[in-house]
Amino acid sequence: MSPLSPPTPGIPPASPNAAPPRTASAALAPAPAGSRPPALRWIALLAVLLMAALTAAVSAQPAHAEPKEKYVVGTDTTYAPFEYTGSDGDLEGIDIDLLNAIAKDQGFEVEIRPLGFDAAVQALSSNQVDAVMAGMTITDERKESFDFTDTYFVGGVQFAVPESSDISSLDQLKGETVAVKNGTTGKDFAEENKDKCGYTVDTYQETTDVVDAVKSGHAVGYFDDYPVIAYGITQGSGFKQVGDPQGGGDFGAAVNKGKNAEFREKFNAGLKNLKKSGEYDTIVEKYVGAQGSDGGGEQAQKPDRSVLTVITDYWPQLLHGVWLTFLSTVVALVLAFVLGIIFGFARLARFAPFRWIATAYVYVFRGTPILVQAFFIFFAIPQMFPDLKMGPFVAGAITLTLNTGAYMTEIIRGGIQAVDSGQTEAARSLGLGHRKTMQKVVLPQAFRIMIPTFVNQGIITLKDTSLLSVIGLAELTYQSRQIIATTYMSSQVLVVVAFLYFAVITVLTLLSQRLERKYAV
Amino acid sequence: MSEQTSPSGQTSAPGGAGAGGATKGAGERPEKIVVEGLRKSFGDNEVLTGIDLTVKEREVVAIIGPSGSGKSTFLRCLNRLEDPTGGSIVIDGADLSGRKVKIDEVRQRIGMVFQHFNLFPHMTVLENIMLAPTQLGKCSANEAEQRARTLLDRVGLAEKADAKPASLSGGQKQRVAIARALAMEPEVMLFDEATSALDPEMVGEVLQVIRDLAENGMTMILVTHEMGFAREVSNRTIFMDGGVIVEAGTPEEIFGDPQSERLKDFLAKVL
Repeated sequence: MSPLSPPTPGIPPASPNAAPPRTASAALAPAPAGSRPPALRWIALLAVLLMAALTAAVSAQPAHAEPKEKYVVGTDTTYAPFEYTGSDGDLEGIDIDLLNAIAKDQGFEVEIRPLGFDAAVQALSSNQVDAVMAGMTITDERKESFDFTDTYFVGGVQFAVPESSDISSLDQLKGETVAVKNGTTGKDFAEENKDKCGYTVDTYQETTDVVDAVKSGHAVGYFDDYPVIAYGITQGSGFKQVGDPQGGGDFGAAVNKGKNAEFREKFNAGLKNLKKSGEYDTIVEKYVGAQGSDGGGEQAQKPDRSVLTVITDYWPQLLHGVWLTFLSTVVALVLAFVLGIIFGFARLARFAPFRWIATAYVYVFRGTPILVQAFFIFFAIPQMFPDLKMGPFVAGAITLTLNTGAYMTEIIRGGIQAVDSGQTEAARSLGLGHRKTMQKVVLPQAFRIMIPTFVNQGIITLKDTSLLSVIGLAELTYQSRQIIATTYMSSQVLVVVAFLYFAVITVLTLLSQRLERKYAV
Repeated sequence: MSEQTSPSGQTSAPGGAGAGGATKGAGERPEKIVVEGLRKSFGDNEVLTGIDLTVKEREVVAIIGPSGSGKSTFLRCLNRLEDPTGGSIVIDGADLSGRKVKIDEVRQRIGMVFQHFNLFPHMTVLENIMLAPTQLGKCSANEAEQRARTLLDRVGLAEKADAKPASLSGGQKQRVAIARALAMEPEVMLFDEATSALDPEMVGEVLQVIRDLAENGMTMILVTHEMGFAREVSNRTIFMDGGVIVEAGTPEEIFGDPQSERLKDFLAKVL
């Protein structure tokens, strides 16, 4: 597999404001409430279109490698001011602006995928992306796996505490707990100094979590790169800086060792031009202020921090999150239903190997956490089979489908077995064959029995989509974390998001109750 | 076991004293069901230990006996709802134990009525009756509906055609079940304790339908607990116990002059 292959077409980008996957939205559109098309028909259409999308996503590979004009760059999801989602729903930040300006200067295209820091690095290792630019400090350790561009920003680790805190130096941290984000230089710094200062380090996955851990009292403060802290303060995070930035730290974009050299060259050339033209300074000052580290008193008035603000300012993102949550749920439920029928019947088959296969499927996918399955499908499979690269939506939908399918299998098996055996006997005694008996007598009754369980599973699946935010599927939970990262309004955002989940699930529950009543025996 | 009578001997000499005119000349009529040495085990438990029975056209055979004697299992073997473990069953010339037998086709010629009706709850009464004829291509949907309505009329339920089974009484359900079985125009009808699950006041209506069938010359085997009815409607009564036919004869012989101790014992308890 050439590392120079262009990004696979047909994969919906993970960017939160990207258009929803075209195939799936087209399939959903012709299902208006009034005209009542046979439900099965559009479900089938949806399934077909999704299959087509999957096929396109995994099959399109280049025949030859020529100097490319488009690079896929992985980045963090919430690492303000380097990358975060702005109030208009677009990805913003120093990394984003610099990368776009460099691309413009050098005349190449760039597709930026906010995957999360760990995920972006993993995606780079597995050639899912061409480069990573995510506020990444150049270290000797990282140089062993990656080649870095020139330094585009000089950082440094700083400690931040809530404004009300009376901690004013690291010496006061004895016996306390501090928070850091996994994989950052802030964490390295914290670990290096923890024996000296006598604090305990709690590690979190996202900056948002780190900040919230301090706000909720799980930690007294956090270590992070000073621009991150400085930016947060300008956004009303309610923190203050303790001491000066430590240890410098050169930020660079990374490519896999020995690969994509021309990306590095163009990046370096573009960076030089931007610095010369002054555009570089303009971009950086926009996010951390002219002096960078001395956040201080020039902070703007605090923005309105009510729940209502979250809704009025961020409704396009929230709506998009609801849409992707809904879409991935529907796609997964439809396909899982098909899987459930296949494996459900296999579980009841007379031919023993069918039973073994179906049982193995159920045990594997019911016996492992969906989070592990998502990581496996998104990260591990492309490393084993480079042709099976998938975007977050496709990978997420597959994960959800396989996971839900295992439960569907058991629901369908149970439903069929719950139909009184006298029904089968009556049908068979009339001379109906096994197939007709199933079709006309057993299944119609089994499905009636299954409806409440289906509804239950549908709700579980819908809620499980939130776990897929870890692979960059831009559903509702993912969006909420983006918004929290920019606004530091975690409680307000979480209230809104919880309400949205609740509302969607309530609507679906009411719909299904009508269905249940309609098909009541 | 000396009291065990030979079933084949009974069929060849049915005696002229059967109930109703249908028995006359039974000797010349073709054999509809021939069972020889039928055995059935569930695991280590042998429920039928060798049954021989021949039933001729238009004959009505009632099977009585204590519960657990194998009556129902025997009946269910006749359309292979249970697979026999030994012996042979020939129905209307088709050998059920043969490997080539198309069991679904044979079953179309054998109607069966169950203790618990087993109506299809998701269909209307009419759909219940029409299902098999239309699905099996026996006739067009129109014909099937016409016949279904005729049958419903025959069992006195013409006005229930569009009702769902859940809205019917037990007796009505069982009459629909009989109509459903008759829709395939079977050669033989099997009744598996058709009135056992009914409230007493509904037994009569179902028995009346069965009585009509008997008078119209349907070949039938009834497993029943209704001794009076068995005596009235059958031309031959069979007493089963412990997985074998202990005694067989005309209803007058079985009920009026029981030979074996077991039958005497049984009748003393139920009559």
